[in-house]
Amino acid sequence: MKTNRTTIDRIGDVAETYQRWLSGRYDTIVATSGAEALEVLDDDVDVVLLDRMMSSISGDEVLSTIRAKNIDCRVAMVTAVDPDLDVIEMGFDEYVVKPPDRDQLIETIERLLDRADLDDNLQQYYSLLSRRIALQQQKSEDELMESTEYRDLLERIEMAHEAVDEQIGDMSSNVNFLGAVKEIMGDDERQNGPGSRENNQQ
Amino acid sequence: MNTTYDISGILPDETISEISGGTNVLISGPAMIGKQELAIKLIASGHDRDEGILIVTTRRNATSLINDFKQIIPDLDTDRIGIVNCSGTDDRQRLDEIALEKVSSPGDLTGISIGTARLLQGFYDRDISEVRHGLISLSTMIQYLNIETVFKFIHIYTSRIEDTNGIGVFTIDNDSHEPRTVNVISSEYDLIIELRENESGDLELRVLGPESGSRSWYPY
Repeated sequence: MKTNRTTIDRIGDVAETYQRWLSGRYDTIVATSGAEALEVLDDDVDVVLLDRMMSSISGDEVLSTIRAKNIDCRVAMVTAVDPDLDVIEMGFDEYVVKPPDRDQLIETIERLLDRADLDDNLQQYYSLLSRRIALQQQKSEDELMESTEYRDLLERIEMAHEAVDEQIGDMSSNVNFLGAVKEIMGDDERQNGPGSRENNQQ
Repeated sequence: MNTTYDISGILPDETISEISGGTNVLISGPAMIGKQELAIKLIASGHDRDEGILIVTTRRNATSLINDFKQIIPDLDTDRIGIVNCSGTDDRQRLDEIALEKVSSPGDLTGISIGTARLLQGFYDRDISEVRHGLISLSTMIQYLNIETVFKFIHIYTSRIEDTNGIGVFTIDNDSHEPRTVNVISSEYDLIIELRENESGDLELRVLGPESGSRSWYPY
């Protein structure tokens, strides 16, 4: 399933080094200017590594264009200093401190790709739990445990829980925490204002 | 790293008198029964041990919340309390001395999260590493967002509290939502404190969870 991920790397003279590190694992595109980055960006791109210090169009402008066009990709800022909270408030999903080594770079990309599945997996976890609760309202736990289907459900809940917790990673990190919240807010923030009550219950 | 948070003298003796770091507590009960007062008591009781207090308030403004804390802690150290106000009600008094983050609505989870991250960072910068978190109340969030989103946020936020070794106290009106909604949300918590009024109109409380001690109802 994790095929055809494209990483755009637009970090001038070091871009080639990054591409060499990454091209064995991912499809990569290198753009050497903001304008070029915007030209090659589309929905097939999963992760963007963006240097804020660029000529012509600034990294911030590229980022806001990505967001405005609603392209579903995660953007990591490549930066000289550790910006932590600020970077999230600017709308980036992660940051990479320059100069990263190969492992750090891959780790960051993997974290971003994982996070992209977080919302779906939390949704799945919620649905399974919800099904369990519905069953518990009808029968006692002892009765339920006699059914293979129910025991199977418990196992799936356990697995879903583990998958989610692996994806959210270490929540003591501000970037992980805020990145995870951002993932789950995708639709709700746009579609629902106050007054949209518990509308998704069956 | 075995931090414990003292709550002695608040809950019935047969139940619990301390909460271990990383634990998340849900106070569940009908509207207006006193969940918020109990939450504030549980959160305030670490103040004399140099702990920090970090509250997300969805209904009341920071001024009235601070007043409640001052009832319990007359010499409240304002450096050790931070509030994320997403209630939409402005604070009339100026609260210069309190770390306050304003968020436009209880539905703005990104804003709320950034607010809490800033306040927590502020505590860490001042070497306050033991923090009691409060979120009062989940019921308001459920009015603003769909239930799945609230559930996902609870999963993330309780993990955040767990991974930073704090404790979390959340409240929910269990008569304002479907029982199924309340049960699914409850399953995310390590400890549930339930409040109810018995037939003679007296308040009762029970504590449920793996480390809860007695699971019976007690007068409160």
